[in-house]
Amino acid sequence: MKDLKENIFRTIITIGAVLSGILVLLVFFYILKESIPFFREVSYKEYLFSSSWRPLSTNPAYSFLPMISATLYVSFLAILIATPLSVGCGLFLSFNTSKKSSRIILSFIDMIAGIPSVIFGFLGLVLLVKFLERNLDMVSGESVLAGALLLSVMLFPYIVTGCTETFMKAKDIYYGASQSLGVSKWYTMRRIILPFARKSIFVNMILALGRAIGETMAVMMVTGNSPIFPKLLGRAETIPSLIALEMGTATYKSLHYSSLYAAGLILIILVLIIQVIAYMINKAGMRRIG
Amino acid sequence: MIIRTEDLSVYYGYKNILKDVNVTFEKNKITAIIGPSGCGKTTFLKSLNRTIEEYGGKTEGNIYLNNEDIMNIPVQKLRNRIGMVFQTPVVFPFSIYKNMTYAPIYYGERNSQKLKETALKYLKIAGLYEEVKGDLDMQATKLSGGQQQRLVIARCLTVNPEVILLDEPCSALDIKNTANIESMLLELKKDYTIIIVTHNLAQAKRIADYVIYMEDGTVVEMGKTDDIFDCPLDSRTKEYITYMKN
Amino acid sequence: MRAKELMFKFWVILSGIIITVITFGLFLYILYKGIGVVTPEFIIGSPKGIPLGTQGGVFPAIMGSILSGLISGILGGVLGLCTAIYLNYYCKNEIIRKYILNALQCLAGIPSVVIGLFGYTFLVVGLGISKSLLSASITLTVMIIPFISIRMKKALEETSKEQYISSLSLGIPKGYTIVKLIIPSAFKYIMTSLGLGTVFAMGATAPIMYTGVVIVSGVPGKLTDPFMALPYHLYILVNEGLSVEMAYGTAFVLIVIVLFINIACHFTGKNEDV
Repeated sequence: MKDLKENIFRTIITIGAVLSGILVLLVFFYILKESIPFFREVSYKEYLFSSSWRPLSTNPAYSFLPMISATLYVSFLAILIATPLSVGCGLFLSFNTSKKSSRIILSFIDMIAGIPSVIFGFLGLVLLVKFLERNLDMVSGESVLAGALLLSVMLFPYIVTGCTETFMKAKDIYYGASQSLGVSKWYTMRRIILPFARKSIFVNMILALGRAIGETMAVMMVTGNSPIFPKLLGRAETIPSLIALEMGTATYKSLHYSSLYAAGLILIILVLIIQVIAYMINKAGMRRIG
Repeated sequence: MIIRTEDLSVYYGYKNILKDVNVTFEKNKITAIIGPSGCGKTTFLKSLNRTIEEYGGKTEGNIYLNNEDIMNIPVQKLRNRIGMVFQTPVVFPFSIYKNMTYAPIYYGERNSQKLKETALKYLKIAGLYEEVKGDLDMQATKLSGGQQQRLVIARCLTVNPEVILLDEPCSALDIKNTANIESMLLELKKDYTIIIVTHNLAQAKRIADYVIYMEDGTVVEMGKTDDIFDCPLDSRTKEYITYMKN
Repeated sequence: MRAKELMFKFWVILSGIIITVITFGLFLYILYKGIGVVTPEFIIGSPKGIPLGTQGGVFPAIMGSILSGLISGILGGVLGLCTAIYLNYYCKNEIIRKYILNALQCLAGIPSVVIGLFGYTFLVVGLGISKSLLSASITLTVMIIPFISIRMKKALEETSKEQYISSLSLGIPKGYTIVKLIIPSAFKYIMTSLGLGTVFAMGATAPIMYTGVVIVSGVPGKLTDPFMALPYHLYILVNEGLSVEMAYGTAFVLIVIVLFINIACHFTGKNEDV
């Protein structure tokens, strides 16, 4: 009786785990399978190195280059904006506020990560885009800059949380010793804490980049979505936006349809490369400390 | 003789932690295992009730419980007969009472009167009853370290084991609590066989009937407590004992 | 030297203030702008006006979001918990364990829009399940399985190994130990993972856009009905330029639900530490 119950439990758990595993693999294989016709049909010269995206024209052209550049442009710019602010904020929360208030502020910053991205898109449209139109004298504020600024806010929690954790750890280890030498708090932060956290800052940056590349709704709502080469103050369309906007119109099993899967695959590969880099840096760091 | 090992070796991956251990444990006695940290004492203890497997260890050689190879005993039955207590007290995050009834309920006891009797009986044996009788529904994690450890031992007794393994049960406790547990162990050995790993030589001397000295995964020497402490045969044992005394 | 330190100080304090102000500003702005719009009628009414959505309420969208969140939360929770338990306690083969973990990690990195694409073509077009609560919830489930499994696995690891071994040492088998000891000990963390996963599902737009959500519908009565959802409703209001005011109201409701679950999870998580 008891053995029976044990066996039933083990079976249920195994079935659940196998089901999850199958779902995960199914997604991977399906994406791979559906994108193969595209890669077979269209040469890499066209999809990576030409410049035009017009899948529905009578003379169709399939180039992901504008979208890939837009994705990278928006994401890197967002990281460049978010990182200095987040690192500074991390230092501020680790050294200049009381434990209690920094914990409250941190948990609110953390909650930003939980806000649905469509809300960011909405705010970006009514605040940021309008602001850019008014102040930069733009015809339309929907642009790479708007996307990057908005995205940088969404990345705050990812970088701030990770960095603050490292700063706190460094504080525990070195702060007392450094203070006993009579140097200022700021000097300690600059000369000891920051160098100690260099690697961790970099890893957090990269992980945030992975998150940035896949962001769909918020970016889509403020970048204007034209499949052209991105300029800072011009419209652009990222890969996720491309997929989201065209998946409803592509005919099932057409080349256009397959191209969207190919775009998805390229996106996944970008994210995976980033994750692997972060993983390797992390591992190298572990070895050095251990 | 209740437990006997025969060329017992334990591996973690390719690392050989225990090498050809041959020892015996007498029924209703306290046997202390001593030796420097990392000599395999804890590993040895864990291999006796096969919990070593949960940590990924592989064993070679044989262990006999009452002349029966433990690999022929169903693993739950084996662990039921050989109980184990860890260094840090591991109370379950329930009330004191639920800690005590956790195992009996599994073994099919549903009668609340009987459950209560069992719980109280072993709390009394562990000398905890007087201290907690008013609030058995209190979270066990709120007890002091010494009380928690006694609760863990009491919980271990609820399944009626033949052998109790203790892994440095007092190293996290103060002198008074240590004394409490030691006198309890001396009381318990009338009914149970006790094997205790300890760093504290004085403790081994106070409570143990037999002592095993281990070094580097091998048993250097085993014998009656007085013999080991007063006239050890092996120079390594002697060195360790003199070293620990100073 | 002095100038450098001054610059440094300026940078740290300024970025601290900027991020803090933006963070609190965000929440307060939405709450401030939305609170005027949110009347009882807004909560319990259906979209009205011409075009639809410019007046009336968002009740079907609230229900749609809650239902799809609930279904995918339950499905993802069960599968995620099974996966976590399997990985921690039943998987004997170290290599298989590593593969499953890596696959989950990878899937967690896949952008939600790609999962949406998968759901749309596989479930809706391929298998022919209509655009419905069911297909949308399954798509969301696929999205949150890695999120939940990884967090639940961590939750189970929070309970000490010695506790698990202590129970085994009483002669009690794995399954009973997991059900009666490990899961109750880690219950709060498990619920937190579940809550966060559900919020994640409820806030997602891209995965449901083509798998089940529609611009206007009633409260779905069956699994095969299409439904409205708050994030998509917000997207439509904004993107079609229907009504900014209604958009603030919708954002308010969405953020209140998200914050409520988040804070609830946050505090139950805290209690465990004390």
